[in-house]
Amino acid sequence: MDTNGATTSSAAGGGSTSKSSSKKHSRKPVYSRFTQQELPACKPILTPGLVIATFTIIGIIFIPLGLVSLSASEKVVEIVDRYDESCVPSDYSNDKLKFIQNPSINKSCVRTLTVPKLMKSPVFIYYQLDNYYQNHRRYVKSRSDKQLRSVSDEKSTKDCSPEDKTVDGPIVPCGLVAWSLFNDTYGFSVNSKTIEVNKHDIAWKSDKEHKFGSNVYPKNFQSGGLIGGAKLNSSVPLSKQDDLMVWMRTAALPTFRKLYGKIEQDLQANEKIQVVIQNNYNTYSFSGKKKLVLSTTSWIGGKNDFLGIAYIIVGGLCLFLAVCFILLYVIKPRPLGDPSYLSWNRSPAGHPN
Amino acid sequence: MIYVRESHVEKMGKTQDVSYEILNVLEFNSTRKRQSVVCRYRDGRLVLFCKGADTVIYERLGTGNGDLNKVTRVHLEQFGSAGLRTLCLAYRDLAPDLYESWNEKFITAKSSLRDREKRLDEVAELIEKEFILIGATAIEDKLQEGVPNCIQTLSRAGIKIWVLTGDKIETAINIAYACNLLNNEMKQFIISSETDAIREVEERGDQTEIARFMKEEVKKQLKQFLDEAPQYFCSPSGPKLALVIDGKCLMYALEPSLRIMLLTLSLNCSSVVCCRVSPLQKAQVTSLVKKGARKITLSIGDGANDVSMIQAAHIGIGISGLEGMQAVMASDFAIAQFRFLEDLLLVHGRWSYIRLCKVVMYFFYKNLAFTLTQFWFTFGTGFSGQRFYDDWFQSLYNVIFTALPVVIVGLFDQDISSSLSKKYPELYKEGVRNMFFNRRVVAIWACFAVYQSLVFFYFVSLSSSTSRDSDGKMFGLWDVSTMAFTCVVVTVNLRLLMMCNSITRWHYISVGGSIIVWFVFIFIYSGIMTRFDRNDNMFWVIYVLMSTSYFYVTLLLVPVAALLGDFLYLGVQRWFFPYDYQIVQESHKDDADSINKPDSQETKEHLTPDEARSNEISQLPKEVSKHSGFAFDSPGYESFFATQFGKYVPPKAWDVARRASMKSKSKPK
Repeated sequence: MDTNGATTSSAAGGGSTSKSSSKKHSRKPVYSRFTQQELPACKPILTPGLVIATFTIIGIIFIPLGLVSLSASEKVVEIVDRYDESCVPSDYSNDKLKFIQNPSINKSCVRTLTVPKLMKSPVFIYYQLDNYYQNHRRYVKSRSDKQLRSVSDEKSTKDCSPEDKTVDGPIVPCGLVAWSLFNDTYGFSVNSKTIEVNKHDIAWKSDKEHKFGSNVYPKNFQSGGLIGGAKLNSSVPLSKQDDLMVWMRTAALPTFRKLYGKIEQDLQANEKIQVVIQNNYNTYSFSGKKKLVLSTTSWIGGKNDFLGIAYIIVGGLCLFLAVCFILLYVIKPRPLGDPSYLSWNRSPAGHPN
Repeated sequence: MIYVRESHVEKMGKTQDVSYEILNVLEFNSTRKRQSVVCRYRDGRLVLFCKGADTVIYERLGTGNGDLNKVTRVHLEQFGSAGLRTLCLAYRDLAPDLYESWNEKFITAKSSLRDREKRLDEVAELIEKEFILIGATAIEDKLQEGVPNCIQTLSRAGIKIWVLTGDKIETAINIAYACNLLNNEMKQFIISSETDAIREVEERGDQTEIARFMKEEVKKQLKQFLDEAPQYFCSPSGPKLALVIDGKCLMYALEPSLRIMLLTLSLNCSSVVCCRVSPLQKAQVTSLVKKGARKITLSIGDGANDVSMIQAAHIGIGISGLEGMQAVMASDFAIAQFRFLEDLLLVHGRWSYIRLCKVVMYFFYKNLAFTLTQFWFTFGTGFSGQRFYDDWFQSLYNVIFTALPVVIVGLFDQDISSSLSKKYPELYKEGVRNMFFNRRVVAIWACFAVYQSLVFFYFVSLSSSTSRDSDGKMFGLWDVSTMAFTCVVVTVNLRLLMMCNSITRWHYISVGGSIIVWFVFIFIYSGIMTRFDRNDNMFWVIYVLMSTSYFYVTLLLVPVAALLGDFLYLGVQRWFFPYDYQIVQESHKDDADSINKPDSQETKEHLTPDEARSNEISQLPKEVSKHSGFAFDSPGYESFFATQFGKYVPPKAWDVARRASMKSKSKPK
């Protein structure tokens, strides 16, 4: 049988050939560098040179910075004096709690501080508390910022309990933070001459002007059975109660200091300063410590070597690492981009997996 | 009624249209492997024409014309060796009454409501026998452009490639030669059902005996090969192994008793070619590897017979082409040409893996660094559970302040350009070995996260224990935490830049933008105080902070100190224990502009190494094999290979047919 003709065998060549080129309208999507992943890019490679250069630069920048910070911190003169142990009269030394909780006992205590170096004004007075967890969750929660701001929100004392209200009405300011206001006082004199302590402008300006209202007055404060701290003058509005504002800025760590006041005169070296302390505040029931701190400041703040030392250590470490890398590069160099280091070129031809 | 334009030898050159009436069409399906048509000539003669695979036609031939059958069989083998796809044509004259009775059965079967396929098959069986062979045809099926290259690149990448085809064994072997899957140096294990022993048993016709005998044969061969194989492993430069197995044998080899042997043997071979496989067997083989060997499998196919295989594999890829869209619709990915598989795997697959690892690791790292800072804080709060950061900071950390940069990295990070990825396919093995997301990598990131959180918390809190600046006032909890949070956001974003391989302008925008958004947010947040705030903790914090020199001094120190450890680790790792992609990056760091050149550059590059390779091949003394792969050469290589080998290329079958038709000299039977 002859079926020559109509269907020639196979000339079509079957199979699958590419079809795109002959189409009239292409279905190829519009080319854009974004979708085709061809954006111009910087491809940084961490060459040894770059590593060494980076470490060196960091070292060169950080060490001077560290030295500057450290010298600033070293210029600050600080006197720290712990007084809660020694300000308890000897008969109560075994029962400090009874001492502190008895309102009739005289709580004054006189301490002498020696000025190590010239302290230029202003000299800041801080009280430092240890083992005092102002950052405890229940404590931090126990305040009402709304109430502090305006009289109309007097009654929003929801988070403040148990220090939220009395039978006579809401407590202003409510909450444990305000209730536990620090109430030791300090009086300074040198050579029997009183040194004036400026207690204005010790709180943050933003607190004074916005957070604490100028027409909010303390009400029913510390009127319950359990007194936690200082009492407030109910005729002074909150925006002028500096001690309260300072106290209410809760501290971050269990050891903290808060500003008490400023001394606006120089204190000469080796001067003996007499401090009369009213040891009212009860830190004995939780073995807290109380310290009195006098300190000058510098452009970076108080006496804190941490930043200076940290900078120097980091800078020094970087320089040391730069030197190490240079040594290693000399001892054990690896030529960049050498194909003989590729894993398939390195190992002997094994059985393919 | 169809019309066929015929030209007979008696009327030289003149054509006429002859009409034939088509009475029945017995459709093609892959189980029968044939199709038939019953037609009536003008003069009333009834003929059944059949076209199909040679095995099924030969089974149904009548007893006459033994010589023609033998000669045709020889020709078929020659065609197969030349790599052509063959078909047989046969016919049968039908007596009218035989046809009528059969036609009734056919109509009943065709209109039956249940098991129509099976009944049609049965009815077809009744009439498709006692054929007279007409002859055989052979078709040249060219491989797509770029296929051998692609397969070679993928095997360099550590991907094992198996061919599962419905073609005959000779054709399949030829294809494998053309694709570089088989070559003369490999030790080939062939398990075929076309041996004389098996044919002899088949001729006897007893089905159970055939099954038993074949199973025994297959088992024997598998065992023999398995025993032989280990001796080739001993010498590392020994020949590679290849397995060629036939569909019928595969049927027995996939049985539970033998499949383990099959799996072990095939996993030791670098290439496996299965021929004459049915679609079901394709799926079975894929599942065998997927479940038995627990490897990741990818199936690629372009026809409807590949659908089950595509669905059985982990990743199924369909090639959209002339055979229709069934494969594409069943697949996970669809590509237009086979050679795009190289791009898909080596470029996009690899980049995807790297990006995914980076994104996941970075997410864990940044949250760990952030959360552990709070953890260290709990030690200082009497374990009361006070949070270090304001609520808004925590909520928005992952949403605004650190979210966008990691998305940009996940979209755009490229360790090496696409052309280099294809040039070094061995880099793909990094992904196979999961080198970027194993326990070691996770542990290292976690350690650095812990270290950084310690730096964040302790550096900031220890340095703020005294007056904030020269005015003597002190910081509170919220001021310290805002300072720490600023350091966290800045450090974590800078760490992202350190881990990028390629930094586009979107990276700069997103990193810089995130940090700026943080500042904008905190400016707004601490500048507003409304009646509805639960607390005013944050009021004016940032303005006061930024007015102190402490802020800037600390902001310079903390990120540098925190990132110092990471930087040191990256430097040491890159220098002493470099990954392969890093070495490739270094060696190509100066060809900066090649990524943006269009594709024409790349195809030129592809030809030169091939030409170089062919030159090398031609210089080596080589034994010329029967399987030359000529028929499957991709366009452009045919004449080149021929001249290189100095061989006389036998004229192609279609060439002969074309010349013959022009002369119109074919003899009638």
